Amino acid sequence: MLMSDSSTPAEQPFVAMQGVSFAYPTLTGAPGRQILSGVDLNVKRGQLVALMGGSGSGKTTILRLLGGQVAPQAGRVTIDGQNVHALKQRELFALRRRMGMLFQFGALFTDMSVFDNVAFPLQEHTDLPQPAIRDLVLMKLNAVGLRGAHALMPSEISGGMARRVALARAIALDPQLIMYDEPFAGLDPISLSITANLIRSLGAALNAASIIVTHDVAESLQIVDYVYFLAEGKIVAQGTPDEIRASTMPYVQQFVAGAPDGPVRFHYPAPEYAADLGLAK
Amino acid sequence: MKKFAEGIGHGVIDSIAKLGYFARLFVLTLRQSGTAFARLRLTIAQIHFIGNYSLIIIVVSGLFVGFVLGLQGYNTLQRYGSEQALGLLVALSLVRELGPVVTALLFAGRAGTSITAEIGLMKAGEQLTAMEMMAVSPVARVLAPRFWAGVVSMPLLAAMFSAVGIFGGYVVGVVMIGVDEGAFWSQMQNGMDWMDDVGNGVIKSIVFGIAVTFISVFEGYDSQPTPEGVSRATTRTVVSSSLAVLALDFILTALMFTNG
Repeated sequence: MLMSDSSTPAEQPFVAMQGVSFAYPTLTGAPGRQILSGVDLNVKRGQLVALMGGSGSGKTTILRLLGGQVAPQAGRVTIDGQNVHALKQRELFALRRRMGMLFQFGALFTDMSVFDNVAFPLQEHTDLPQPAIRDLVLMKLNAVGLRGAHALMPSEISGGMARRVALARAIALDPQLIMYDEPFAGLDPISLSITANLIRSLGAALNAASIIVTHDVAESLQIVDYVYFLAEGKIVAQGTPDEIRASTMPYVQQFVAGAPDGPVRFHYPAPEYAADLGLAK
Repeated sequence: MKKFAEGIGHGVIDSIAKLGYFARLFVLTLRQSGTAFARLRLTIAQIHFIGNYSLIIIVVSGLFVGFVLGLQGYNTLQRYGSEQALGLLVALSLVRELGPVVTALLFAGRAGTSITAEIGLMKAGEQLTAMEMMAVSPVARVLAPRFWAGVVSMPLLAAMFSAVGIFGGYVVGVVMIGVDEGAFWSQMQNGMDWMDDVGNGVIKSIVFGIAVTFISVFEGYDSQPTPEGVSRATTRTVVSSSLAVLALDFILTALMFTNG
């Protein structure tokens, strides 16, 4: 099933976006450039969904909407049946305790060690004794291969390692919804492969709904259950990895093949090149 | 002309909006201060960072201000044969005025800038967003402990400044120039009022602590999450804090020390 008519899942989706439109407000409070227009999206528990599309297509904004960081101008975002943007602060925070988010650059707390970063959500939201927290943190760090780095500070580890620590932190509370913003960017091939498998197995082990924003088409199509393609704030294609690979849509083909020519423009809209250089007659 | 008017209008609207945000964040910080008190180690760590690390600059500055007061005071007082009142002059100048004001200005430059830069860089690195996504309020976890640490540290630092300054005045006046030691201390003891002088000085430094520390945390929290944005916010902290301290000092002095 490949085009914008959204699927009707057999079971209730854990995450649902219906007709969501969003524009970041300008200084005057008026809506600015339209980022998302009428986006429909469903993710079930245990499902791993990829959001793909060119830079500026609105992928990360979808994660911000799901986390309740920004509110849509139109449409509805629900998680486990709760309208995210109708919740009060306390209710939103209660919902966020069931979410984990991996930020593009890790967003580790630079004044805390690797251990303390992963322990942070446990210490903030549980009454577990320190020995139990220590064991849990070491287990999470072991899962990302960084148990031995627990005493290091974020400034002492590489960008790829920081991303893996952030992944351990994101899953510290065993979330039901895990969001990954560009989890593969900057990882070496070994870490990339391990991280991809980890994302796959984490979602299955926790029966969590997982959403992954990525440009890494090849790696993602091997691990995800479903793909949404975004272009200029709209979902232009969707389907299983096999359907995506078999797609004849020029947009999908260009993206999957990484072809320079196609419907996705490389250049930002601009006047004629010759005119800009003063060479036009 | 129209663009010029629009520019002024935008500027006014932005300033009012920022002032409103400043007030709302101040109330929110007070309301979410429970964490800062319930988990005292967070606030104590900040008192150590903000207060303890400011000690050297405060002590050295206090000592030199005391030296200068000793010299200038002696030169002026001896014209009238009142050099015995040097201790009183040094103590009153420091406790009422220079202690709270100079400490607040130094505090804005030393600790205020570091608070703004730290919070601004946390924002630029998405650490505050990450904290929110982990259902932890950055206002309660980051802003409130730093705010209260500043409020607690400021009077203590001002007291240190005044004490060291008085010692500096003693060194210059008594040890170097030869003013009578007994007169130096007894004039100070007799001429100073516990509430009017010391109490008002403490009140001043608490008010300055609230103003400087909150401006610092606000500017960091409100900064643009870019290197340039953090740099501008840090500059605004020093400028706004200094002006606020001087303006508040005038208002407080008028309220406290105007007779009748």
